[in-house]
Amino acid sequence: MSESNFTTKFLKLFGIDNQGHNRRDPLNVWVPLISVGLALIFGMIVIAASGRNPFQAYGLLFGDSGLIPGGPAWRREFAELLIKSAMYIATGLSVALAFKGGLFNIGAEGQFWVGAIVATFFGYWAPVAHTFGAMYAALGSFGWIAQLLHGAICVIMGMLAGGAWAAVAGYLYVKRGVNIVIGTIMLNWIAWFLITSWLVIGPMTPPSQTFTSGTFYVADTAKLWRIMMPTRLNTSILLVLLAAYATWFLLYKTTVGYEIRAIGYTANIGMEAPRAQGINISRRILQLMFFSGALAALGGTFFILGMQYQFPNTAIMGYGWTGIAIALIGQSEPLGVVLAGLFIGALRTGATSMQVANIPKTFSDIIEGMAVGFIAMQVAVRYYLVKIIQHRHARRDPPADQEAAA
Amino acid sequence: MKALEVRSISKMFPGNLANDNISFSVEKGEIFAIVGENGAGKSTLMNIIYGIYTPSGGDLLVNENEVKIRSVEDAIKLRMGMVHQEFMLIPRFTVTQNIVIGDEPHKGIFFDYGRAVREVRELSERVSLTVDATALAGDLPVGVQQRIEILKVLRRGAEILIFDEPTAVLTPEETVELFVTMRKLQAEGKTILFISHKLKEVMEIADRIAVLRRGKLQGIVNKKDTNEEELARMMVGRNVVLEIPKVDVEVGAVAFACHDLHVRNKRGYEAVKGMSLEVHGGEIVGIAGVQGNGQDELVNAMIGFSHPVSGSMELNGKNMRMVTTAQLRKEGMSYITEDRGRRGLVMPYTVRENSVMGQHLGRPFSKGIRMDYDKVGEFAEGKVKEYDIRPGDVYDTAGSLSGGNQQKLILARELSLPHNFLIASQPTRGLDVGATEFVYRKLLEEKKAGKAILLISLELSEILGLSDRILVMFEGRIVGETTPDKTTEEALGLLMLGVGIDKKVQS
Ligand SMILES: Nc1ncnc2c1ncn2[C@@H]1O[C@H](COP(=O)(O)OP(=O)(O)OP(=O)(O)O)[C@@H](O)[C@H]1O
Ligand SMILES: [Mg+2]
Repeated sequence: MSESNFTTKFLKLFGIDNQGHNRRDPLNVWVPLISVGLALIFGMIVIAASGRNPFQAYGLLFGDSGLIPGGPAWRREFAELLIKSAMYIATGLSVALAFKGGLFNIGAEGQFWVGAIVATFFGYWAPVAHTFGAMYAALGSFGWIAQLLHGAICVIMGMLAGGAWAAVAGYLYVKRGVNIVIGTIMLNWIAWFLITSWLVIGPMTPPSQTFTSGTFYVADTAKLWRIMMPTRLNTSILLVLLAAYATWFLLYKTTVGYEIRAIGYTANIGMEAPRAQGINISRRILQLMFFSGALAALGGTFFILGMQYQFPNTAIMGYGWTGIAIALIGQSEPLGVVLAGLFIGALRTGATSMQVANIPKTFSDIIEGMAVGFIAMQVAVRYYLVKIIQHRHARRDPPADQEAAA
Repeated sequence: MKALEVRSISKMFPGNLANDNISFSVEKGEIFAIVGENGAGKSTLMNIIYGIYTPSGGDLLVNENEVKIRSVEDAIKLRMGMVHQEFMLIPRFTVTQNIVIGDEPHKGIFFDYGRAVREVRELSERVSLTVDATALAGDLPVGVQQRIEILKVLRRGAEILIFDEPTAVLTPEETVELFVTMRKLQAEGKTILFISHKLKEVMEIADRIAVLRRGKLQGIVNKKDTNEEELARMMVGRNVVLEIPKVDVEVGAVAFACHDLHVRNKRGYEAVKGMSLEVHGGEIVGIAGVQGNGQDELVNAMIGFSHPVSGSMELNGKNMRMVTTAQLRKEGMSYITEDRGRRGLVMPYTVRENSVMGQHLGRPFSKGIRMDYDKVGEFAEGKVKEYDIRPGDVYDTAGSLSGGNQQKLILARELSLPHNFLIASQPTRGLDVGATEFVYRKLLEEKKAGKAILLISLELSEILGLSDRILVMFEGRIVGETTPDKTTEEALGLLMLGVGIDKKVQS
């Protein structure tokens, strides 16, 4: 009668009860862990097949990933890991939150750029920058207040802009029936052209500079505080953990989250149940896209205020796309996204030093891709897990229930 | 020959023994009925036979050979076919695509759609189940969707057919047709397992009847040696009288009124063509009609899912023509739907979460933006007791409840909302006698409490038993108004089919 029943029944054919995350389901934890594990094993095989020593490669990859304390460069690597992860977690949360509401926000990439460019603007724009510069000077030892305010304004404006950008796709979906995937991809391209073919080589660039140099640099007051000298680790990791908590709170503790999940669960059958119970679907979808876009944009503001201090002219690609992978590995749960973000951050940090030993960086991408692939095959992974559990149960005490294990 | 034998089958769900040591056998060419209350374990047992669930213990024999059915594929190989309680059609596929899926005719490596359509047409003619082979499945009424399911099963050469509550969604006429089909299949030597709550139907079609109660087999009786009363007693464990008491209530003010309402269906075709009706407080107005005569569109307009193209609609004196569902609900509309899976409940949500949807904003279930899940839990616990929703764990998902218990959950939620106008659309679809009795009692209590009730039902006994006034709907119009004491099922049945209506007035 409905697709949801169809999927439920379909999964039941595999011995799986597709009944959401209401009961703590151990498989939700095991599926990503096993997928990542499998990816690592297959990664070794690939490296070995290319005639290199997989143990040496993994030694370098994880040794220099910042995950394992010790070693001369550990503090720096640890800082790099957290800086990268903060951005991945932000875009991962963005995609995950939209997923929970049944929307595929493929535009985290564009929302990331919008957040970045707006944060840049408020970071250098004279009326703002001068005000806080003067305030910083006037406050003396209380200068941190000026930094706090300026930073906050840049982050908040970036998030508002990214949220609004995503909400456009939400609006087109709600009012015009434009598919969210199409809408967000379209907005990605618009953001891309506005920024790279106009803002960064025109109005936001110092006139005296060559046009390969990127925008103005943000004022010192706008930069995120460094929290572990001498590394460039900054407050972004703390902010993103706060954002992850807020996302969790939104989803599981608020009325809006209750409605969003109800919408998400029924998205493929027309959302009739929440609608019939008087939930304002359109408004929630708009809000959801706004929140989702704001999270991706938060990552963009980290990129500027914590790392680059200007919007570079070179393309910054991939943080939003990586967010999709992270949301998948993290099973769209905020905590899962944080862990997945740290994992990907570690791989990417370690990959750099793996290169030094003449092992191409691509191997870490291969591992990443395979992890996502295995997650995407989670129906199969689940199927075998259930089989294994059933088998063990059956041996231990035959009449025990099998589905219970699922 | 025994076509199917079940030997001490048990099925344990977490904290719930759904099937408890069940044994029986079915002869080839027999129509074997299984009855039992909601949640008695009928669907579970069928799902085990059909390979969807693995039993916790017991054996299955097909054609007197012991078999292991580990998956639906195994069951299909053993020439079994099941028509589920909830259909498994893909809405965006055509009827033909749905029927041939998984076993498509090919031309080379390509799917031969033309041949598939021809095959479906031939089959549908042979077993006299009429379908439009090229229509989209999602657009069709449930009655037709079921025919698709049956055709699908037959096309795969099933010899043992399992029907899980096939008549729950059918009109009386469609049921008669289905029984004709079933007899035909029986004559061809097919074995049929048939589940129903309607004892009258079971007594009509079955050869033997097995009664389940709370997971246990109560007994198997020959149709010849039993009667409805005995079956009801075996099912429920007490005497059941499905007699609806007369309740006289002073009729109050008009709660809902519409005038010359015109509503289009999804495809833009006008399905409600000028309806006018009033529902007063303390009154049950029944709408009788054959499915597909505009009832769904009327309900959609009344709950704010679609806006009427013209005419007026008022709730408590306020114009409600162009409003949202939320506004209607705020004004006091409650709605019991027959489409539990799609419209009634969020299936992956727990009983707890479902129980408050629609009243989750504001006190007591939320403070500001925060949901107060403790309060929600308390409320749900209370309702589970009051409505006897089984198995009774508020952390179970709605999707894991049996149909009857899902309906109780919907009732619990809708009747606890502040409301003075209740739309009950086929409120007892798929319910057992006990639960049906419960729903009737609740509806009468509502009436006593002065609520205005609009009852839309395909079940004439229900319309006649409950309504104070009866409106007959045919092709989007009201073609007759009467009261229960002035009419009979036969007379209503004829009106519903448009017999005796002046064709000139119609066009
Ligand atoms: N997947 C499941 N997980 C846990 N419990 C389940 C599951 N499916 C069914 N149950 C429970 O098993 C019991 C039997 O359910 P079943 O669906 O077989 O009843 P039924 O006789 O078909 O009822 P109905 O007439 O309402 O369809 C019920 O208590 C139900 O809640
Ligand atoms: Mg059932």
